[in-house]
Amino acid sequence: MSKAYFDYAAKRLLQAIVVILLSYVFTFVVVSILPGDPITNVLNNPQNGFTPNEIKEIIAAQGLDKPIPVQLWSAFSGFVTGDLGLSMRTNRPVATLIAEVLPSTLVLASAGLAVALFLAAIIAYGTQFLPRRFGQGLLRGFPSLFLSVPNFVIGLVLIHLFGFQLGVFRVIEPDSFWATLFAAIALGIPISAQIAEVLIANLDHESGQDYAAVARGRGLGQMRLFVTHLLKPSSLPVITVVALTIGELLGGSLITETVFGRNGLGSLVQRSVSTQDLPVLQAVVSLAAVVFVVVNLIADLTYPLLDPRVKLLGGQERRPTTADDSSLPISKAVTR
Amino acid sequence: MAPRDRLTSLSNRASTPLLRAEGLSVAYGTHRVVSNVGFELGRGKGLALIGESGSGKSTIARAVLRLLPATGHASGRVEFEGQELLGLPERRFRPFRGRRIGFVPQDPGNSLNPVRAIGAQAMEAAALLDEPDTALRKALVLETFAQVGLDNPQRVYDSYPHQLSGGMLQRVLIGLAVLPRPSLLVADEPTSALDVTIQKRILDLLSKLQEELQISLLLITHDLAIAAERADSIVVLKDGTVQEAGSTATVFSAPSSSYARKLHGDVPALNPDRYRPLREPGFRHLGARREKTPKIEVAGVTKTFTVDGKVLTAVNDVSFDVQAGTTHALVGESGSGKTTAIRILLGLEQPDTGKIAVGGEQVNGRSPEQLRSVWRHLQLVYQNPFTSLDPTWNVEKTVREPLDRFKIGTHQERALAVRKAFADVGLGEHLLTRKPAALSGGQRQRVAIARSLVLKPDVIVLDEPTSALDVSVQADIVEVLLSLQAKLGLTYVFVSHDLALVRQLAHTVSVMQRGRIVEHGTVGEIFDTPRQPYTRSLLESIPSGAARFARAQPLQHRQIFSEEKIA
Repeated sequence: MSKAYFDYAAKRLLQAIVVILLSYVFTFVVVSILPGDPITNVLNNPQNGFTPNEIKEIIAAQGLDKPIPVQLWSAFSGFVTGDLGLSMRTNRPVATLIAEVLPSTLVLASAGLAVALFLAAIIAYGTQFLPRRFGQGLLRGFPSLFLSVPNFVIGLVLIHLFGFQLGVFRVIEPDSFWATLFAAIALGIPISAQIAEVLIANLDHESGQDYAAVARGRGLGQMRLFVTHLLKPSSLPVITVVALTIGELLGGSLITETVFGRNGLGSLVQRSVSTQDLPVLQAVVSLAAVVFVVVNLIADLTYPLLDPRVKLLGGQERRPTTADDSSLPISKAVTR
Repeated sequence: MAPRDRLTSLSNRASTPLLRAEGLSVAYGTHRVVSNVGFELGRGKGLALIGESGSGKSTIARAVLRLLPATGHASGRVEFEGQELLGLPERRFRPFRGRRIGFVPQDPGNSLNPVRAIGAQAMEAAALLDEPDTALRKALVLETFAQVGLDNPQRVYDSYPHQLSGGMLQRVLIGLAVLPRPSLLVADEPTSALDVTIQKRILDLLSKLQEELQISLLLITHDLAIAAERADSIVVLKDGTVQEAGSTATVFSAPSSSYARKLHGDVPALNPDRYRPLREPGFRHLGARREKTPKIEVAGVTKTFTVDGKVLTAVNDVSFDVQAGTTHALVGESGSGKTTAIRILLGLEQPDTGKIAVGGEQVNGRSPEQLRSVWRHLQLVYQNPFTSLDPTWNVEKTVREPLDRFKIGTHQERALAVRKAFADVGLGEHLLTRKPAALSGGQRQRVAIARSLVLKPDVIVLDEPTSALDVSVQADIVEVLLSLQAKLGLTYVFVSHDLALVRQLAHTVSVMQRGRIVEHGTVGEIFDTPRQPYTRSLLESIPSGAARFARAQPLQHRQIFSEEKIA
């Protein structure tokens, strides 16, 4: 691996860290300037039944009586050193709360992504082998269908059909294998649509390229052409698409968890929102930012390794549209 | 096979042509693009299909190769060694691909998979040889690379397509096509994406391989001069029908169809003196040059760019003068710096050193506001009319825009000026409300010229104004330009890679190579007595085989200024 690649990787890593830190500060500031503060809304709310002493204790522990910049500084320095603070509602460390529910969400999100990739591959690659008139049109219709149905509807239909009617899984055991699988299907279907659309567009583009015709002229059959020539260039951009759908995957996970009754980040967020448990919300948002940034960092770092055309110029990634100007028709080459 | 059978089949082989098309038609849906085309190609011979865009020549090539897109349908007969190809199921046609019919594509830059190494793709072609040993197959690939003139075969083998130049890629593709020793090579415009000197080398390579390996060549080209030089017989196509067919000598010395005659008249390489009367005033201005200061003075201009940390001198100490009312041509291949030179002339780029004056006013070192006053007298016509006009504007608005920007005249005066410019370039007023998409390429370029004329400039910079156009359309545009020059006394700076075209219309020429002007002179000096080897190599790259046919032709002068046919 070249020095250019390491320079590029170092620069991107630095950028990623800055983005994460900035997103933390941004979230904190936005939450602080929103109307309503936790003291009046939560602590002084008679429904929650805190005693005056407890309220004082919580205010002191959270430092809620201090000015916002001071609060930000103590929270931020805690975040940098790995201390996410205490939950206002339960008074337990936020890190512990998240660690309890995170594995369940990660399992669901990864399974959802796997389902999405699997479905997208079947739909997109299938269009290359089915006869044009029949079948292909059907497959090409799937992505728009998948996109137009919200995942909680898919989830409810799956629960009704496979949980209650067919009894494939027991609805009261949401963490069982089958229940997780169906939750992952509900989560993965809308995401598969986006990936499939990109894949289909790329496949259509690549198979219409001159090199595909030339390779066929060289005697390659449909299958060889697809596997050796079209698969890689059409699939590479999917890396970027997957990285961008991570946000949706996380958000979708929270909804799907609620629909399937799983105990995960979704229920934690729900409880924290209703009680304005700011430290927990701040931590979850930051966690989402970290996941998003890390996944995109991985995508950016793998792309140059897979596509020989990507040139790394001074830490900037640039996909050249054409390799060599002299290979262009003169009408294009001179426009530089 | 019994000996008798073999004998008869052998005698059949000798008498049947290698490739024969009869009643070949191709339709996309209900739209017919090729109708009832027939031709024959003998063993080891060369046949050229020539025509302009939309003539169906490439479609015929694709039909023969059975590489038409899924919506295309071919009917009629295409026989290869007596075997009908169109009706064959794909499974039975595949053995023909590569092994017996090779394909050299048009645009080498897009014809190899960009994410796979060249070696991997070459091995696909080598797999068609009945050679089980992989190492031997690779050796054959390297040998073929050397045969097609690639200096370092192993390096080419390990490279990715983007790491090679267009000329090298075309050599690779030709190598891959001839590697399995096909008896027919279909070459679809194999050089139209390449620089002129490389174009000649690639054509020489094809001729050499054709002779050495006894390959028949089906050459698709828009360039009559190339066809004359490289083919034994020619089929002239227009709108999908055959206009004329016959031996190259016949089609050239005595073309019988009016279309072939017109095409013949429009090819610059065959008619260097076509526009003599229109160019006379320019030569008179040039003769009187000692008495006047030049319209354009470029002195010692240098411009460097930094790319990837390397300093690249795009324009190196370039100087030239242009007399008012004459055409000065900047000639060179891609990367020679001619485009950078005109960008500096137009003030779009600042030179590092040097001085540029137009009409006695210095251009370089001006602020953007000051440049505007220069631009009133200095206009640009861009090379590609398909991208240089705003597709959402009607052309009247496009042509009027410079007047609006410079706030010239009242509303009525502007409308009149637009109509005047339209008339000057030979466009009918009924086209004023059209959008560019509803115009042909030639009409669009006329609109672009009208837009540059509307400010009544003295100087127009023409950046390859015809390179995106067909040869007959090119002739129309050249005629418009020269008529305007004769009428209005305009000064042109004409950038081109096409020397034959330059010879037709320029008065003085600068030949550029790697940022420098290597030779400078009048059009007569450059073309009749070139001093520099580079200039000579450029001149040699003009297809010359046609010249002997051309001299047999009586010189025909075109009617000056034909109105654009109503679209």
